[in-house]
This record gives sequence, C-alpha cells and structure tokens, in this order.
Amino acid sequence: MTVRSTGRLRGGGSAIGVGRTRVPLGTFYVAVLALLYLPITILFVFSFSANSRLSFPLEGFTFDQYAGVLADPSLLGAARNSLMVAAAAATAATVLGTLVAIASMRFRFRGRTALLGLAVLPLIVPFAVMGVAIFLLLVSLGIPKSLLTVAMGHTVIALPYATLIVLARISGLDPALEDAAMDLGASYPMALRKVVLPLMGTALIASWLTSFVVSFDEVALAVFLVGGEPTFPVMLYGRLRFGGQLPELIAMAVLLMLATVGLTLLALRLRRSPG
Amino acid sequence: MLGRRGTLPLLVGPPLVWLALLFVAPLILIVAFSLRPESGVVNAADPWNPSLVQYGKVLGTPAFLRLLGVSALMALGIAVAATMLAYPLAYFLAFRARTRATLFLALLLVPFAASYLLRIMAWKLVLGPAGAVNSLLSSAGLISEPLDLLLYSRGAVVITLVYVWIPFAALPILASLQRIERSQLEAAADLGAGPWTRFRRVTLPLSLPGTLAAFFMVFIPTIGEYVTPTLIGGTGGIMYGNLIQDFFGRAGNWPLGAALAMVMLILTVVGVLIALRAVDLRRVAP
Amino acid sequence: MPAHNRIRTLFALSAATVLLLAACKGAEPQNLLVLEWSGYEAEDFWTDFKTANADAPVTFEFGISDADILAKMEAGSQADLFHFYSGWQQFYVDGGLVQEIDTSKLTNWDKVPDSFKEQGQVNGKQYFLPWDWGFSSILYNTDEVPEVTSWDALLNADYADHISMWNDGPAAVTVSSYIHGWDETTITADQLAQIEQEWIAQKPLNAFYWSGEYEDLCPAVQDGTVWVAYAWQGCYAAALYEGVPVAYADPAEGRNSWIGFYGISSKSDSYELALKFLDAKLADLTMSNVVNLFYYGAANQDVMNAIEDEVLIEAFGINDPSILENTNFTPPVTADQRSAWTEMWARVQAE
Repeated sequence: MTVRSTGRLRGGGSAIGVGRTRVPLGTFYVAVLALLYLPITILFVFSFSANSRLSFPLEGFTFDQYAGVLADPSLLGAARNSLMVAAAAATAATVLGTLVAIASMRFRFRGRTALLGLAVLPLIVPFAVMGVAIFLLLVSLGIPKSLLTVAMGHTVIALPYATLIVLARISGLDPALEDAAMDLGASYPMALRKVVLPLMGTALIASWLTSFVVSFDEVALAVFLVGGEPTFPVMLYGRLRFGGQLPELIAMAVLLMLATVGLTLLALRLRRSPG
Repeated sequence: MLGRRGTLPLLVGPPLVWLALLFVAPLILIVAFSLRPESGVVNAADPWNPSLVQYGKVLGTPAFLRLLGVSALMALGIAVAATMLAYPLAYFLAFRARTRATLFLALLLVPFAASYLLRIMAWKLVLGPAGAVNSLLSSAGLISEPLDLLLYSRGAVVITLVYVWIPFAALPILASLQRIERSQLEAAADLGAGPWTRFRRVTLPLSLPGTLAAFFMVFIPTIGEYVTPTLIGGTGGIMYGNLIQDFFGRAGNWPLGAALAMVMLILTVVGVLIALRAVDLRRVAP
Repeated sequence: MPAHNRIRTLFALSAATVLLLAACKGAEPQNLLVLEWSGYEAEDFWTDFKTANADAPVTFEFGISDADILAKMEAGSQADLFHFYSGWQQFYVDGGLVQEIDTSKLTNWDKVPDSFKEQGQVNGKQYFLPWDWGFSSILYNTDEVPEVTSWDALLNADYADHISMWNDGPAAVTVSSYIHGWDETTITADQLAQIEQEWIAQKPLNAFYWSGEYEDLCPAVQDGTVWVAYAWQGCYAAALYEGVPVAYADPAEGRNSWIGFYGISSKSDSYELALKFLDAKLADLTMSNVVNLFYYGAANQDVMNAIEDEVLIEAFGINDPSILENTNFTPPVTADQRSAWTEMWARVQAE
C-alpha cells in the first residue's frame, strides 16, 4: 500500500481520483453564476441609460445617474449606514454563532439542544412579526431607535445562518486536536483560539459573508427599527414610490455591489489559504 | 488557567443573554398579543384578558389552513430543489476549486449585496411576455404565445425562490464536504472502490449533516415568505406569509397577525422535530 | 502571516471600519419625529421647514398603512406628528392621541379651502391639518378597453388577466357598495358575504393585486400588462407623461376622493416646533413639490390654481367641476366594520 499524505483536501496536492468523474461540475457552477449575474448585468446596463423605467429599448448612454448618486448626500449616507449595520451584525452573528456551535458540539450540558434550537429559531419567525415585537420592546423600555437597534435586530436574524454554517464545519473537527493542545499546557480558550478557529477559517468567512448579505438588503425588520438614519433598503423602498428616481437608485445599487465585491476581495487577501 | 469546564459559561453566556433580550422577550410579547381577543388596532395600555379567540379564528377558517398547507408544500418543493441543485455546486467548490473555493464562493454571494427589490424588477424583464426567455422560445418556434406562467403565478414564485436559495444552500453543504479527509477517500480507493462508489459510500454520508442543515435552512423561512409572492406571485402565488403581513402590517391587527404567526411557528417546530427524530440525530452529530 | 493572526486582523479591520464610519457620522440630536409614509421623508416634501430651520433636524418613523400608523400611535410611539388618510380621524380623538392645532399660528392656513378644513375637524375642533388629496377611480388603457362607465369594470371577465385591484379590503367593500348602491356605513353580514363571493370570483381575473402605486401598478400599466386598474390619479399622470393611451374613468356611481391629514401627538413636547413644521408643510414650494413630483393634490389652493401643466390639469380634473359634484368621500367606519372587512379580504386572498 502506498503512503499518501493525510492533509486536508483544501491543501492542494494531486487529485486521487476524486476529480475524475465526468460530471461537468465546472460548467454547472458557471451556469449558476451566469443566472445569478443576469439581473445584475441588466441593472448595470440600465444604470448607464436614460430610461426612467426598466424596459427596452435603451435610451442613450450617460453617466448622469452616477453623478447624481455621488452628489446626493442622503443616498450616500444611507448606503454608508447599511454597510456599517451589516458589518456590525455580521461580526456579532459570527461571534455568537461560533460560541453556540462550539458549546453544543464540544460539551454535554442540560439545555444543549435548547440553546441550539433557540439560536436557529429566528428562521421561523417572519421578519415583519419580529419587527413589531422588537419595536414594542423598545417602546416599552424607552430605548430610542437607531442604527444600533437595527444592527441588534439583524444579528438575531443572521444568527441561525452563522450557527448552522460553523456547526457543519465543527462537527467534523477532531476533538483530539484541542486535547493535544491542552496536554501541551494551553488553557481551553487558548486551545480554541490557536487550534480550532484557524482550522475553521473558511467557515467563519462564509458565516460572516452570509450574515453580511442577510443584513445588508433587509428591509422588513429595518423599517421598524430604524431611527433618524435610514439604511439603504429602507430609503430605496421609500424612493421607489416615485417614478423618476429609479435610474439613480439603480446606479447606487450597482455601486454598493461593487463596494461589497471590494470588501470581499480585501477579506480574502487577508486570508490566503495555507500553502 | 481555564479548563474545559470553566470555559463553558463564557461560551454559552453571551449568546444566551443576547437571545433572551432580543428574541425570547419579543417572542413572549407576540404570544401575549396572540392571546388578546380584540380585533384590529389595540392600545397597549388596554387590560390584557387572555383568550383563544384569535386561534379559534385561524383554525376555524379553512381557507387559512389550506393556504398554510399549500405554502408548506411549496416550501418543501423549493427546499428539495434548492438543496439538490446546491449540492453539485458545493461539491465543485470543495473538490474542484479547492484553494480558490473561498473566492468562487464569494462570487456566488456577491449578487445578494445588490438590492433584492431591484434584482426582481430586472428579473421580471427576463421572465415577462416581452422578456428574454419568451423571446428565445418564440424565435426558436417552441411557443406561439408568451408563456404566462413565468410571471405572476405560483410557478414564478417557486422558480424564483429556488434560484435565490441555491447559493445559500450550498454553504452548509460546502462546510461539511470540506471536513472530509483525503485519507478516507484514499482508503476507499485503495480498497477498490470506483469514483461513484466512493461518492455514495463515503462523501454522501459524511456530507449529510450539511445537506440536512441546508434543507432546513431553506425550508423553514420559505413557509413564511411574502416578499417574492407580493412582487411576482400574482393572485395565484399568494402564500401564508402574505396573510401575516396583511394582518400585522396593513390592517394593524396585531392579535390576529400574531396568532397566524404562532400557528405557523408551532406547526413548523413540531414538523421539524418529527423530521429530526426520523433522521436520528445521533448519526449526524457526535 | 499565520492563519489565526489573519482572522484576528480581519475581525479587527471590520470592527475598526464600523467605528470609523460611526465617527464620521457624528452625533445628531433628535428633534421632531414624524410618523410618515415611506417616500414622504424626502426633503422635497418639507423643504420650506428645512430652509427656515436648518438646525432643527427632523427624523422619520415609517408606517405602511393607516391601520399600521394608528397601531403604532396606540402602542406608544414617540412621534410628534403623524400622517394618515380620510376615515380615521375619530379613532385618534377617541384614543386621546392628538391635540388641537392652534391655527392662528399658521400663516398659510388661509390658503386651505373651507371644505378641507372641515374634514379635519372633530367635534368642532381643528385636530387635523389637511395636506394632500386625490381621487380613486378606474384607470384604463383606451386601446384595449372601451369607455369605462362603472366601477364594475374591475370585475369584468372580458379583461381577464389584465385587471389589477388594490390589495385593500375596505377599498374592495367600497367598490362593491358603489356598484350595488349600498351605504358603506351600514353593510350587513349578508351583504358582506355576497361581496366576499364576488371578489373571490374576481380573483383569477387579476394579473396581480397591487400594493405599491409606483412600484407595482405604474410600470404594469405602462408596459401594457394591466388594462384596467383601481388607481389613484398618480398613475394616471405618470402614464400620460409616458404617452401611454390611458383614461381615468368618471363612473356613474362617482369617483372616490380622499384627503391626507397631519396630527400633533398629545404626548409631544415640541408643540411650537410641530406647528412651525405644519405651517411650512402648507407653504407654496413644499406643496408644489407634492403636485409636481408626486402627482397628488395639495391643500394649498393657491398652488392648485397655479397649475399650468396639461397632464396635471387633466389628472386632477381641474377643468371639469362635474367630477367633484359626483365624487364620494370616504366616510368614517367603525373599528369593528374595518376588522370584518379586512378579515373578509384575507379570506379572499387565501382562497
């Protein structure tokens, strides 16, 4: 029997026959990607046209919408608010989700299933219902609504996604690794920090990105919890009530998407896979 | 120095506090509202006389229950389709893309940073009578009249939701595919298993937790979905979530809206628990 | 860089970004809080106040319907001002949610027609300030549909798949009462049951129910998906501007008309500032924006008299006084009636 490496599949190296099936997986990926980007492309194209509504034929080519966006402080402000709220909610959800995942996978305690269930339960509650409920809570406690309350609400609804993603990853991690670290003298938190977390890198990023995306475009909950400063979806929802605003809104949406791409690429640069 | 036991409160504490404040407490408020007998707008200061009147209304209206059933079936179909279509995607990311998996994954998720509302508006262009799909089909001579079912129908809702969920469903599947060690597949290969057998006997079972997670992640929120039905469902694609939204939002009838939501919640939790029993959690989590 | 350091850096970076952006924002004192409809928070619709009181920030809370806004006020919202439409005045007064408006302090009050002022009064007291107004009628495509003379066009099977009704139970009951000649304020259980059956039969004739005027209905009218719709004059004006062949019906039963009002919360401790806000809302520029940008009528009669745009004159029926004579105004109905009508509509939706 030949000796082969026992490295994780992510670590590169030659295929052992896993890649030899004739299923055109790459084609499938590209097809799904194309379908996903089709509406984006349409929006991108329309953002350069003078059309007041989404219909062909296209009328003219212009940068006016983008100029309009950059000159509109309230629009830019709303976009900035959305980015802030989403980043905060993503970070909080990933942290809390990781804590829940580690606790339920590595420990046996009473209420273990309950904690996991509770973390995932927000999936079932419709956002409009959550919105009213948290709104009532804030009103009765006299807490003013603000972007912070939106971020707090978004953390709750993103938590199930974060938890599930990290959970799926942890369930395959060998507990022996932590034990080994502790045998070498590390405390448990240190073992988690230096051994477990790095191995979960991709899952943590996936969880962060998913939570970010869940929060970024969320409007049903945000409408209830937003204070003086709106998030972009809330403002979009309001501005769509006017016909003539559509082109500028499309330009803003395209810009926001590009900003997210930039953010993602930056995050990926920081996490280069182990060679 | 903190050992295992000592770390537990640190792990469990923060999530518990957060959830208690921002989820459990609001949920209790919702339950309290669902037990109010008043219909329509309620003053919070009015005395609370709990009663099951609203639940009686919900359970006593066959149309509501039928809609819940239809919505659950739609959600089931959407979840199955999305999970099945997401699996090859996750497989590609885990085994073919390897070092670039995160990048390819990010590419899948980035479109969701663009406003859903605007994307659906653009999607309507593609699906509509003058849109790309119909133009393609009619110029190929396959249809003589534009297909109605692509827009403002139940079919449109199902197609759109499957399409929207695929990238998200791929995530937990990917996470569990990535934990499969090469050594396990190598051992199988050494024992003479071909690629398909390796997939069936090693990869598939080991990725089951992620696949199940994906299924439930899609199924559960889809039952209460209302945004997509409102935008492209027409009158045939209305779902249970629209009822909740109509009563809660439009009608300001929080007691009845809360009861509708609670019925959906309770039935979903019961359904999921039964399903999990059937799957036998012990095979899935250590 | 080792993996765990990179992750730590990533989180630190995102935390730093959040804090940096938060710092850029700076602290903003809360001043007037207005419970508004989405879209009206745009500065165009309170521009006179903004110009005169640049240091008094106005923030907005949102409601999605009259019932929702009432529910939020009843639930204890901190809003100083709220905006709602005809038929709901009594609830605010009964609930002790509103305080009287001191009209002597409003410089633009004289520009409001008396009939509008009266609509904002309850028990002889001026509780509410009329602001915007409009019609509800049948908007139809003249290329596809012959002249519409009655509300029953909305239930006409000839236009199957090309009708769009507003997703609102009370509106459906109103339409049915017009068609049958019933009194909206005295609809019996039998009549309601009949109305329910009629709208259940009508359901498959719709392309879709619309919720958002400019998001849902207008594009569909303009691209020909919808031929007959329950609509406000906003979509009529929008379609005319786009050159779509449409007409706005003058049904035999009469159009419906509604007025939007502002009220000052009884809990507000910024009464003087709220009055200034309301006064500025009635000012010429702000009200012109409502007319020109949103295609809604203004309570400021000077602004209405100054309209010269042909499309707007047509949309508001300015040159045809017979329209107003034949127009029905939304009467106040009780909370129980409203609930019954809403539940009826929910059953129609669920069918």
